Amino acid sequence: MNEDFIHKWISQVKKGTLSFIVLNVLKGGKAYYGYDLINEIKKITEIEIAEGTLYPLMNRLKDEKLIKSEWVEQESGIPRKYYSITPEGKNTVTKMEEYWHNLNKSVLKITK
Amino acid sequence: MKLKEIPFNDQSAERIYKDYLYRIKKEVKGLNQQNQDEILMELNSHIYESLQEHPTGNEVEKLLNILEKLGRPEEILKPLVADKKLAEATKTFNPIHVFKALLLNLTNGISYIIFFILYLFLFGFVFLIGAKIWNPSQVGFFYKPGEVFILGHSKGLVNPDDELLGNWFIPAMVVSAIALYFIITLLLKLKRTINK
Repeated sequence: MNEDFIHKWISQVKKGTLSFIVLNVLKGGKAYYGYDLINEIKKITEIEIAEGTLYPLMNRLKDEKLIKSEWVEQESGIPRKYYSITPEGKNTVTKMEEYWHNLNKSVLKITK
Repeated sequence: MKLKEIPFNDQSAERIYKDYLYRIKKEVKGLNQQNQDEILMELNSHIYESLQEHPTGNEVEKLLNILEKLGRPEEILKPLVADKKLAEATKTFNPIHVFKALLLNLTNGISYIIFFILYLFLFGFVFLIGAKIWNPSQVGFFYKPGEVFILGHSKGLVNPDDELLGNWFIPAMVVSAIALYFIITLLLKLKRTINK
């Protein structure tokens, strides 16, 4: 077994699916701030993500208008930046799900 | 909104924290003030919220764990800064911003290398303006059908009478440079829209 190869492959798969995972967490309509979102992803999926990679991704998703963000003042004086999904984001994640299910079916067939 | 620093009881923790903030600031300093503040405040909030999760325990150890999980600013901010810089550049039409954004995005694909080369052409026109002032007789647009076609320095090889633009050379170069600049920036905008 080539552990190094597997390691690289896993990190590529994670990187490729992170936007799909984030949009899925957000699609319920609840707003999350970065740290909260990371915890939610860990809780639901048991996937450890490199925390620092989340923020560039959120910026891209925002550029694509799939999510929006808003600063909310806190009692601590350190505001949180909350992210929520846009209507376009919802439509996009639905399409992504369709693709994902088809891919999943094909992969299951091929690995039999 | 302004950054509010996180208070620490432990002096070492405070030093580690300040050093991390400094490294973030250094990475983002090429961006406009608003983008700088956004990035700094968001990472600061991340550190603060992580610390709140475990209110007790050794501050230094907690902070080091958080920062390790978050990653080195020099690594995590590269893609973010490159994206934001490009967005800034295509919004403003400021040549310095465009140049910097292209440099930051060079590693993001062959198309940016092509843009960079186009940009160098642009500086070629600007250079020719200076060269014309410095050496008026040998710099210009030399053209004689089937024999000569030179835009630049003739190296004394051609008859100066073949220069076609004369006093119009500098205005022509200015117009070419501006036209090319707008074309490049519009192409960049178009590329960003297509990517979306």
